[in-house]
Amino acid sequence: MASLISCPHCGVRPKEEFSIRGDATPVRPAPMASDEAWNDYVHVRANPRGRIREHWQHVAGCRRWLVVERDNFTHDVFSVTDAAAGRGGAQ
Amino acid sequence: MAYDYQAVHALDGTIGAVPGQRANHLAVHRATAIAVVLAAPGHGAEAAGILVADGAFEARFCGPGEWLVLSEVHAPETLVAELSVRLGAFAFVVDQSHGRVALTLSGPDAARILANGIAVDLHPGAFAVGRAATMLCNHLSVNLARTGVDRFDLVVMRSFAEAFVADLKVMARSHDLSVDFATR
Repeated sequence: MASLISCPHCGVRPKEEFSIRGDATPVRPAPMASDEAWNDYVHVRANPRGRIREHWQHVAGCRRWLVVERDNFTHDVFSVTDAAAGRGGAQ
Repeated sequence: MAYDYQAVHALDGTIGAVPGQRANHLAVHRATAIAVVLAAPGHGAEAAGILVADGAFEARFCGPGEWLVLSEVHAPETLVAELSVRLGAFAFVVDQSHGRVALTLSGPDAARILANGIAVDLHPGAFAVGRAATMLCNHLSVNLARTGVDRFDLVVMRSFAEAFVADLKVMARSHDLSVDFATR
């Protein structure tokens, strides 16, 4: 487990301050997409080894949702960005 | 039926004061005016500008577009009204005067004591005077502000105040620490 995460708002923080929500790669299907597409989105996850993108929430800090790109084998953290910034969101 | 409400400090009777004025001192403030300000979407810069412009407010960073505002000038009853007038549509203001407890830890070992529970680098070069951030202290989330090289202001949620003071006493076990309510 990567133990130091540099939050774009708060700086370098220990992983204990965060809670991990899961894979950040699935894209939400359109509301009327097929049941199969929704089933994939809600339930089906790959379990890759190596570089992954995950949603982390900085619960004990700024409480923002972040997208952490890290390697689950070497523990390297490549990038940490605000989840809203990735989608051109506010603030 | 009319009720008489009494304002009781969260640590009244449970502070477990360590009397005297030792090398390091933890002062618990009795009545601090505290409010949370959350900038309206897209108006973070305007809200920040207004908060900084007025010397009566002390804005502590919590997250992007979010500040804990403390005031020595305004009373707990009037701070929110004052802030709402100044900020207008740029931000949302919520009173936290009775929801949070403010403490000041000062003394030559202040940073060392905090380092026993906080994993953030508190060297003055890394966490400079005037900076503030919300961070984890043991298992509690606290807003820490450096108001001097050897002086820190801490703001915790009211219900965690008792546990937090107990934690601080343990963290300061190998240092000389006195604990009491602030006299002011």
